[in-house]
Amino acid sequence: MSKQVGVVFAKELREVLRDRRTLIFMLLVPTVAVPLFMWISTELVTHFATKLAREEARVLLLNPGAAPELVRRLRDSSSLEQTARRIEQVLVGAGLSVEELALLKGEPKAFMRLLEKKGIAADELVGKLRRATGTADLDADPKQLLAGLAPPRIQWLEEAPAGVDAAALAAAGRRRHELLEAVRRRKLAAAVEFDPRAESLLGEERSAPVKIFYLESSDRSRAALKSLRRMLATLGREILAERLRDRNLDPGFARPLAVRAERLPGPGFMAKLLSMLLPYMILIFALAGAMYPAIDLGAGEKERGTLETLLAAPVDRLALVLGKFGVVMVAALVSALLATLSLTVSMRAGVLGTLSLIGGEGFSFSLVEAGWAFLVVIPTAGIFAALLLVLSVFARSFKEAQSYANPLQMFVILPAFVSFIPGVDFDAGTALIPVVNVSLALKAIFTGNLDQHYLHLGLLFLSSAVLAAGLLLFTTWWFRREQVLFRG
Amino acid sequence: MPSANEPTIDCRELSKHFHDRKRGLVRAVDGISFQARAGEVFGLLGINGAGKTTTLRLLATLLRPSGGDARVAGFSINERPAAVRANIGFLTMSTGLYGRLTVREMIEYFGRLHGLERERLARRTEELFERFDIASFAGRRCDKLSSGMKQKVSIVRCVLHDPAVMILDEPTASLDVLAARNIVEFIADSRSRGKCVLLSTHSMAEAEKLCDRVGVIHRGRLLACDGIAALRGSSPSGRLEDAFVKLVEERAS
Ligand SMILES: Nc1ncnc2c1ncn2[C@@H]1O[C@H](COP(=O)(O)OP(=O)(O)O)[C@@H](O)[C@H]1O
Ligand SMILES: [Mg+2]
Repeated sequence: MSKQVGVVFAKELREVLRDRRTLIFMLLVPTVAVPLFMWISTELVTHFATKLAREEARVLLLNPGAAPELVRRLRDSSSLEQTARRIEQVLVGAGLSVEELALLKGEPKAFMRLLEKKGIAADELVGKLRRATGTADLDADPKQLLAGLAPPRIQWLEEAPAGVDAAALAAAGRRRHELLEAVRRRKLAAAVEFDPRAESLLGEERSAPVKIFYLESSDRSRAALKSLRRMLATLGREILAERLRDRNLDPGFARPLAVRAERLPGPGFMAKLLSMLLPYMILIFALAGAMYPAIDLGAGEKERGTLETLLAAPVDRLALVLGKFGVVMVAALVSALLATLSLTVSMRAGVLGTLSLIGGEGFSFSLVEAGWAFLVVIPTAGIFAALLLVLSVFARSFKEAQSYANPLQMFVILPAFVSFIPGVDFDAGTALIPVVNVSLALKAIFTGNLDQHYLHLGLLFLSSAVLAAGLLLFTTWWFRREQVLFRG
Repeated sequence: MPSANEPTIDCRELSKHFHDRKRGLVRAVDGISFQARAGEVFGLLGINGAGKTTTLRLLATLLRPSGGDARVAGFSINERPAAVRANIGFLTMSTGLYGRLTVREMIEYFGRLHGLERERLARRTEELFERFDIASFAGRRCDKLSSGMKQKVSIVRCVLHDPAVMILDEPTASLDVLAARNIVEFIADSRSRGKCVLLSTHSMAEAEKLCDRVGVIHRGRLLACDGIAALRGSSPSGRLEDAFVKLVEERAS
C-alpha cells in the first residue's frame, strides 16, 4: 500500500510538471508576476504622489484686505526656500545623497530609518540644523526636518480666477457652493479667509482666526490644505518667536516639554509591513498553486476518461488519494515558498525601488525563521490540498470543479486578511481557526515573537492535522463509492 | 483460486438498480446468470440501453450489485473486489490514456499498480511492445498518438499483468477498419492463449465473427444464452439477426 502511494505520487508529479497551466501558476506567477506587479504598483504610486507634490496649488485669498501684513509674509516664501537650501546643505554634508533626499521628501519614517542605516545620529544632526537655520523650532521630529526640506508651492490668488463668480463668493449664502464648484472644476485647490480683525488681534498679542476651505474628496485640495497648515504654522511660530524675543524670553518658554520618541532596536516598520503582507501572500499562493493540479488530478481524470480504467486496476483507494494529495500539497508548498522568496529577495535586491529604500534597516529573515514559517504553512497547505481534492473528485467535470474552487478562494482570502487587522492575537482561541491561525502564526514569526507562542503552534498543528486527515478520509470514502465515477 | 473445471466467469442472479430522478427506479441489470470458460469468447449482445455496460462494470467491480453475485477468476465480486481487479483486464469505449505521459511511462504506471516487480515489468513490456509493434513510438507522449496507436497501447495496458479474464465493452465500436483489426486479432490471440474473453456488442456481425457463445440481453434480462450456431438454428431463416428479433418480440408480447 505504501509502495502504491509512491507509485501514484511519482506518476502524478510527473504529469503535473508537464502541464503548462500548472507550471505557470506554480512557478511563473509567484517568481515573476508578483514582484513585477509590486514593482509597477509602487512605482506608479510614487510617480503620481511626487507629481502631485510638485504641482503648484492655486489658493484664493477671499479677503486679503483684512490682513495685509499676514498676506505679505505668506507670499514671501524666500525665507522658507533659504531654510530648505540650508537644511539640504547640512544633510548632504552629513552623507545623504541629493537623490535620496528627493525620494524621501514627505516620508518622515523612512527618513529616520535612512539616518539609522547610514549611522547618522539624529540628535547631532538636529543640533547642526538648528545652528544652520537659526531657528529654535526644529526639534528631533523628522516630520519637521523634512517639511523644512520641501517648502510648499502655492500660487496665491487675490481675485477670483476666470470662471468663478466673484459676486457669488461675496454673498455669504452662496459662497460655500461657489467654492465647492471651483474646487471640483479645478479652478482652485483651496481658499483662505482671515478674520476681519485678524491684524488687530495679532497686535494685541492674541490669536487670529484663519479659515481654510477645502474639499475632502479631492487629493489636490487635501494636499493644498496640508501645505497651508504647514505655512501658517511656520508663520505662527515666527510670530511667537518675535513675541518671545520682545519680552526677552527663552524659546523654551513656549514649549515647556520637549517630547521625543526614541525607537528601540528591533523589528521596525519594514518587518511590520512584511509580517502583514507575507502571510497573506503565502496563503494565497499556497491555494493558487494547488488549484490546477487538484482539479487536474480529480475532475481532469474523469473528463479524460482515465479514472474508470484506473479504478478497475487493483489500486488501494487510500493509496490513490494519498498519492494525489501529496502532489497537490507539494504544488501548494512550492508555490508559497517561491512567492515568499521572490518577494523578500526582490525587496532586498532593491527591485522594488522606493519600498526597498524604506526598508533600508533590513527585514531580518533568518534561516531559523524561514524554517519555522515553512513548517507552519505545511498543515494549512495540507488542508487546502485536501479540500481542493475533495471538490475536484466530487465534481463531474473540470468546469464544475472550477466553479467549486473559485468561491473557495474567497473563503481563504478573507481569513488570511486577519494579519492586516491590528490587535488580533495568536492565542489558544485563534490557534484553532483554520487559515486565521497560520496567518497569525506567520505574523508572529516575522515580528520575532515566536518564542511566546510555542503552545499555540502546537494547537495549530494539531487542529490542522485533524482537519486535513478528516478531509482525506472523506475523499477516500468517496473514492470507494461507485458514485465517484457514476454520479447521475 | 478457481478449480480446473470451474467457469472463469460465473454470474448468478446479478442485478443492478439505479435511482434516476426522471425515470424513477431503473432495473439496468435484472437477475442475470451466465457462465464463461477459459479459452472461450463470450458476447453480450443487445441494443443500446440493454444493460451491457452495467453488467461489465459490475463484473469489473466498478459498480456494486443491488443483488446476486458473480465469481470472476474464482473470486466473488462482492467479497473480494480487489482480488477480482487484480485478475481482469478491462477495456472500454471511453478508455483514456494519460496524455502527458509517454507510452512507456503509461505502461509502467499500470504495471507498478498491478504490483509487477521492476525486472519482470521491464521484460513483459519489451515482449508486448514487440508483439504489438509499439517499440517505435514507445517514447512518444500518448496525446501525440494516432487512434490506432492509442488502441494498441490500451490493449497492452489491458494484458500487461497477464489476466485470466478480459472484459471488453464494445471493443470495435467507433474504431476505423485498421484499428478494429488490431482488436480482432487480439481477441483471437487471447482465446488461443486460454483466456476467458467477455465482450459486449450491439452488432450481429461482430458477434458472429468474434464469439463462441452469445448471451442476448434486453432490458436488463438475459433472453437466451447459447452457441452461435444454436442461436441461428432457432430461426427458420438461419440468420442471427432474425433469431435476435424473434427473441426480443417474444419478450415484448
Ligand atoms: N449511473 C446510472 N444512473 C442511472 N441510470 C443508469 C446509470 N447507468 C446506466 N443507467 C441506465 O441503465 C440502463 C442500461 O444502461 P447500459 O448498461 O449503459 O446499457 P448498454 O451498455 O447496453 O447500452 C439504461 O437505461 C441506462 O440509462
Ligand atoms: Mg454500453
